[in-house]
Amino acid sequence: MKNFLRFLRRCAAISFVGDWRYYAWLGILTALCFIGLNAYAKQFVSGLGTTGMTDQVSWGVYIANFTFLVGMAAAAVMLVIPVYIYKNEDLHDLVIFGELLAVAAILMCLAFVTVDLGRPDRFWHLIPGIGVFHFPGSMLSWDVLVLNGYLVLNIYICGYLLYCRYRNRKPAKWLYIPFVFTAIVWAISIHTVTAFLYVGLGGRPFWNSSIVGPRFLASAFTAGPAFVILALQVIRRATTSAIGARWPEHGVVPHEIPARAATLSDLEVLAEHLPELAAVSAAERRECLEGATVLHAGAGDILLRQGANEKNAFLILKGRVVVRRDERGRSRITRNIGPGEQFGEVSALAGTPRAATATATEPSEILCLPADSLRKLMRNPKMNEIISWRMTERLMIADHSLLILRGIVQVAMIINVFLLANELFTEFYNSNHDSTSWRYLVLGLNGFHALVPWFWTAVTLNLGAMVLFMLPLSRSLKWLDLGCVMCIVGIWIEKGMGLVIPGFIPTPLGQIVEYVPSWNETLICIGIWAFGFLCFTVLLRMAVPILQGQLSHANESQPATR
Amino acid sequence: MDDPISSPGLTRRSFLRASTVLAASAAAVTASLAPLRKLGQFTTSDEFLQKYYKEMTPEEMKVVLARIENEVEHQYGVRPHLRDFKPMNGVEFVYALNLSRCVGSRQCVHACVAENNQSRNPEIQYIRVLKMPNDGTFDLEKSEVSYDSKAVPEAGSFYLPVQCHQCRNPPCVKVCPVKATWQEADGITVVDYNWCIGCRYCEAACPYFARRFNWSTPSIPKEQINPNMSYLGNRPRYKGVMEKCHFCIQRTRAGRYPACVEVCPTGSRKFGNILDPNSEVSYILKNKRVLILKEELGTLPRFFYYFDV
Repeated sequence: MKNFLRFLRRCAAISFVGDWRYYAWLGILTALCFIGLNAYAKQFVSGLGTTGMTDQVSWGVYIANFTFLVGMAAAAVMLVIPVYIYKNEDLHDLVIFGELLAVAAILMCLAFVTVDLGRPDRFWHLIPGIGVFHFPGSMLSWDVLVLNGYLVLNIYICGYLLYCRYRNRKPAKWLYIPFVFTAIVWAISIHTVTAFLYVGLGGRPFWNSSIVGPRFLASAFTAGPAFVILALQVIRRATTSAIGARWPEHGVVPHEIPARAATLSDLEVLAEHLPELAAVSAAERRECLEGATVLHAGAGDILLRQGANEKNAFLILKGRVVVRRDERGRSRITRNIGPGEQFGEVSALAGTPRAATATATEPSEILCLPADSLRKLMRNPKMNEIISWRMTERLMIADHSLLILRGIVQVAMIINVFLLANELFTEFYNSNHDSTSWRYLVLGLNGFHALVPWFWTAVTLNLGAMVLFMLPLSRSLKWLDLGCVMCIVGIWIEKGMGLVIPGFIPTPLGQIVEYVPSWNETLICIGIWAFGFLCFTVLLRMAVPILQGQLSHANESQPATR
Repeated sequence: MDDPISSPGLTRRSFLRASTVLAASAAAVTASLAPLRKLGQFTTSDEFLQKYYKEMTPEEMKVVLARIENEVEHQYGVRPHLRDFKPMNGVEFVYALNLSRCVGSRQCVHACVAENNQSRNPEIQYIRVLKMPNDGTFDLEKSEVSYDSKAVPEAGSFYLPVQCHQCRNPPCVKVCPVKATWQEADGITVVDYNWCIGCRYCEAACPYFARRFNWSTPSIPKEQINPNMSYLGNRPRYKGVMEKCHFCIQRTRAGRYPACVEVCPTGSRKFGNILDPNSEVSYILKNKRVLILKEELGTLPRFFYYFDV
């Protein structure tokens, strides 16, 4: 418990540490949050009359954004499914980012619902057991349950995995796998329930269509992974710097570092940081020490170099090592690790060239094992388990992972466009009274056409993104990013303004009253989006150093780097 | 730089920095929340903690009624007589409206506003009279709501007043997440204005455009207040809650006609107990040609349109 509190305190503390770009970004977001808060204070005093909503169009951009963001939250599963069901290791370290996005998205959803309430002070009427909860009759009560449940699930899964990583422990399967599978089903349910919120209203033919649920899922699985692709690149960017800019490197090549033969007492030192070593008998230990050395590296010494071909694995006895990958002229820190941790073992075991460069950042003692000695050590099941597990816990964000996500967006967008085409055929081939809202949205009605440009913008963006994602062109990151932005904006319009507003136009009695969000209402939306980005940024600021190994139980007395 | 993560105590610099950040955030929060100073009396603790209508004992209800009477007197300067009228046994109210006779005078609309203490600004009305063209269709999209009621009846048109249909299968009741709206034993769907959270889901669900939301604090001139009030009916509403036609609970549960029935100059509006076989509405349903609006939705309205035949 004490450890957990210290973990939370350190996580909180690190969210205030960063370079000037980080402070500038947080500063802008915080300022926007305050502007939104100010606008909400005005709405709270004067009522929802400060919005553009009317009795005719009684839900507006708040509920539109809410609907879109539920989809973003559900999209976290798109990352979870391939990892846990299809055992795709490439996406493994990305799951946490997806789930953190889900947490931020749900917080925004809750904020959007709250600002939409006429009486937010009576929120307690909605709490099961305290208020009067109309369950299972009202779809809104289902939404309250599934959204809050999903929030708790995701906080728990991310929190547990990150805490294990922090403690350098292997997570116990039964403590998270059942929750992961629950979260997968749950994610589908949050979006289906949100669709049913609309579908269940018989008096609104625009929504009362069984295809709305599948359309919601398809569009969520388009916009969500598209957002994750962009977010991952930002994380990758933020953890990189120009090559050589960060650590002075002496240019000392590995074989110039002073070394001595390793002894049993070195393994004792290692066992302090790696408790699993206790399971290895003295005889086995002696066997492993054959050909093993201890390197006495100074700060800046390069221990292994990306692209080199030699077959040693390393375990840190003392000091600190940064592992970085150089790609496209930039250098990205994948790990920042201390005593008890391993590096170089993947290429040593596989016999491949070094994938990254490792540099000591302070005077360090490193145990250097030939690949065969490491294999001997891994004959012990406990050692095998911990070393193999740690091999998968890398912050890689390889281009390859982004391309897997591209595949998901590609398929989801095709399905999304197909479902929209189905709906348009049904509504327009036999035009009747129930398709009036569609006519208003697509073509305009009796001289009213506020939503027509929105709709066609969405269609253009979605079709454009679909074509782009099908072309090999989008395998290059620049075009992939463009496609992602088109998806996100297109879906935001389609599911927000294009879904919520036309449901109210015309009214059930045939009047057309158009809706334009007020300035105050827009400011509140901007504030909530800024709040969501702020949450996501801070969550990432905590998660990335933990995944890199920079923030861990082992280095509680170590200073954090910027 | 000094390390904020692991340094055990506060250094002078980190203390200064933390205090600056705290002071700046406190100032920003205060500045952002400045509009709240105009809030005035938003809610009292009694009002905030008030129980759900159906869970209150008669004693608790008495206390609440007295409190609300005081609130209304404080706000509008008129001492109301507020009661909680209960449904009568063996009564189910039904409405019948004669489309052959209605001339669209909108007198019902205004009588309703006066009787039920509806907000004058912003303007809230429960009844909407649609002017429909006599062109061989019954198309609501061809209806007009803002016709000039001094020029009625106009040739080539008929008039279709719409208000809450008090459905037997009400979508608004089904969707409410906190059961703040429900159907009473005599068939009237009511709203507890002290329990509604203002999510407006019922407004989206209603196929008859019968529910209204208080987008701002309602305003009623003091001299126009109707002091004969009921808890589930015409007492003044709050900002941010829903309201709707309740068949004038304060009149009908005391044996009187709704205001709209009384005022109608053409006698188009009929109201009564469907469980009484000798009532006027029972006669109409048995002997007239009756029409139900949006019958295909399965809402089973208690509001019937009929024709003189």
